[in-house]
Amino acid sequence: MSLTPLHAIFALMSLFTVGGAVGVVLNRNLIYAAMYLVLSLFGIAGLFILLEAPFLAAVQILVYVGAISVLITITVMVTRCVFCKEPPPRQLTLVAVMAALVMVTLGFVIMTRFGGLTPAADVPADSIEQLGVAFVNPQAYLVPFEVASILLLGALIGAIFIARDDLPRDEEAVGGDDHA
Amino acid sequence: MNLPTLESINLLAVLPVLIVFGWTLVLLVIDLFIPSGRKYWTAWLGILGLLGAAVALAVRFIDARGAAVTAFDGMLTVDGFSLFLQAIFILTAVIGILLALDFLPRHKIERGEYYILLLFTTGGMMIMSMAADLIVVFLALELLSIPLYILTGFARPRADSEEAAMKYFLLGAFASGFLVFGIALTYGGTGTTSLVGVFNQLAEGEPSRDLALVGMALILVGFGFKVAAVPFHMWTPDVYQGAPTPVTAFMSVGAKAGGFAALMRILIVAMPAVGEAWGMLVAILAMLTMILGNVVAIAQRNIKRMLAYSSIAHAGYILVAVSAAQRPEDAPLAVSAAIFYLLTYAFTNLGAFGVVLAVEREDGSGNLLEDFAGLGRSKPVLAAIMTLFMLSLTGMPVSAGLVGKFFVFQAAINASVGNPWILAAAIVGIVTSVISAFYYIRIILIMYMQEGEPQVVLKPALTVALALTALATLILGIIPAPVFQLAKDALLTLVG
Amino acid sequence: MLVQQYLPIAILVLFAIIMALIVVFTSVIFGPHRPTKKKLAPYESGMTPIGPAVRRLPVRFYLVAVLFILFDVEIIFLLPYAVVIRQLGLYGLIATGVFVVILTVGLLYEWKKGGLDWE
Repeated sequence: MSLTPLHAIFALMSLFTVGGAVGVVLNRNLIYAAMYLVLSLFGIAGLFILLEAPFLAAVQILVYVGAISVLITITVMVTRCVFCKEPPPRQLTLVAVMAALVMVTLGFVIMTRFGGLTPAADVPADSIEQLGVAFVNPQAYLVPFEVASILLLGALIGAIFIARDDLPRDEEAVGGDDHA
Repeated sequence: MNLPTLESINLLAVLPVLIVFGWTLVLLVIDLFIPSGRKYWTAWLGILGLLGAAVALAVRFIDARGAAVTAFDGMLTVDGFSLFLQAIFILTAVIGILLALDFLPRHKIERGEYYILLLFTTGGMMIMSMAADLIVVFLALELLSIPLYILTGFARPRADSEEAAMKYFLLGAFASGFLVFGIALTYGGTGTTSLVGVFNQLAEGEPSRDLALVGMALILVGFGFKVAAVPFHMWTPDVYQGAPTPVTAFMSVGAKAGGFAALMRILIVAMPAVGEAWGMLVAILAMLTMILGNVVAIAQRNIKRMLAYSSIAHAGYILVAVSAAQRPEDAPLAVSAAIFYLLTYAFTNLGAFGVVLAVEREDGSGNLLEDFAGLGRSKPVLAAIMTLFMLSLTGMPVSAGLVGKFFVFQAAINASVGNPWILAAAIVGIVTSVISAFYYIRIILIMYMQEGEPQVVLKPALTVALALTALATLILGIIPAPVFQLAKDALLTLVG
Repeated sequence: MLVQQYLPIAILVLFAIIMALIVVFTSVIFGPHRPTKKKLAPYESGMTPIGPAVRRLPVRFYLVAVLFILFDVEIIFLLPYAVVIRQLGLYGLIATGVFVVILTVGLLYEWKKGGLDWE
């Protein structure tokens, strides 16, 4: 098997994804951790492109790299202490061991039991068109599509309910945004 | 794309859930124009919508005569099982609203969103019981969970309510992650997310089975969180204690029944081919859950915490029934036992939380066991009702709890031939039932034997809710046969 | 190969990175560099800085961010439909219309509850 530029791109994107994720976990500064998260999410978008899933890549960029990262950054900045260094987590070793265990188990199952991986069929050129049809086709995703809208509505009501500030506040919150 | 026909979409079959969602949308707009302080209008309108859904459900039930149909070309299955569970959800929601009607203004947290969010999560549960596709299962689970996270924090800015919401949200999101991972692996193994497709693929065997097995285990973990099974129960006591009491009552019944609805459909309908594997896992979970729930409940001084551990323990009893359904020939009896148990538990637990609510004070105190002292003298009827609920939770005669437990253990012992795991789970269940008598009966003793002056606020809506649940607990305990026949006819089917 | 279509984007990204590096490092390398204590202090309109530069944001920003995500996701769901809008005709319009109407109710709620007001 010869190395192609594709392999190099895959390696780079994987490095972004995994390295970013490690950065998120190990960085004690929340803002930096959020930036590492953006890197990781960007790497995933690259991987989607390599998998020839352009729509998913676009979703990844628009929703995750675009919106979720903004939300997370703002959420960090809403917290009491933005640039505080968090103390290192106490159970880091335990968690690392657990994560490694899960990875080895899943890796084992996939490697040993899925030796005969069959290459996927070619991605059709009109995959986005097909998805558009599938969203409104009851045999495909019509129910999830409509349920998703109700789910978004529920989340919207919840978000407004949580963030609205017409409630009596505790002193802390009032002291927090005196500069607004 | 071929245009779908009206028959293949079959809107009539899912009319109850359409009514719930449609009415909730209308109510959301109406609520914007209801002045604050009159939010009980929203509540009564919500109950009206639920009653409409109940009528549609009854019509559907009579119409179907036990036959299972699909809606939306097989994405949703409307069978006896889902109809029975939808009835439980609607009932739980009605009582959940009744419990909150006086509680919210008394605690100065009355907002129309309570009723709206409650209706949303009820709709999510109803879809959950019908979902015949793993993607729909996931979306329904999120629709069930997200409003519940908000409801848990409904008493903000009270710190314990906010803390409970935060814990519930973080662990719930974690559980959803497990579930999605499990669904993804199942899809990887079988190449389909439809339950019929998974069933067919697994029946063919290799090589899809191994990956689907791992997927099944992860799905089990995800639902283990949702139904509060040990060792995924850590959130339960804190969340149940911190959430406003009507929310605790509602979610201890509704979220549990919703989780079990989807869990049973996935395991029993789609994965009987690996039944031995999940049967053993579920039996182990059941034993751990019953032992830990019942033993730790003894040490609790706060009644909401005690009922939280009790709710963990009851999840264990239902898991025994799920485990007993691992072989297709035992499944019908075990499933009917499980859903009948869910019904008895719904009435009993909602009622018990109703009494807790009556004793609770405006400042959030009044939840300790000692606060029930003297209730037998000052409020004899309320104390008698609480006694009934406690006996029912223990599984004593003349109460629904006994009948529910009887059917579960009967199903388990029937299915235990040649399967020591189920037998062990049944035995643990019987032993822990005896242990549970200790803490349930302690409440009765405190109410009647200790001196005290409990402050009880009993408004009409709460009285109606208590009367309803107490009557149902009693009737199900004395003449369970007609309702159990309904549960027996409520078959869990594979259609597609 | 489909991936090669993304070559222009990759070049653009590379170009952006190089530009950024040039802008930042040219002045560092070629500019005079004689720091004093006052010069190194954070700049606040020429005054002596009071308090830390990073402060807690009001929670309203969070609300804006969440609403942004929700409607962002709505657009993502509608994007594939937009590609095949003519092919699906009236049926597609109804199916997507339900989706949009449900979220419009959310917009109405948000509007009435003052979620769109800053003060």
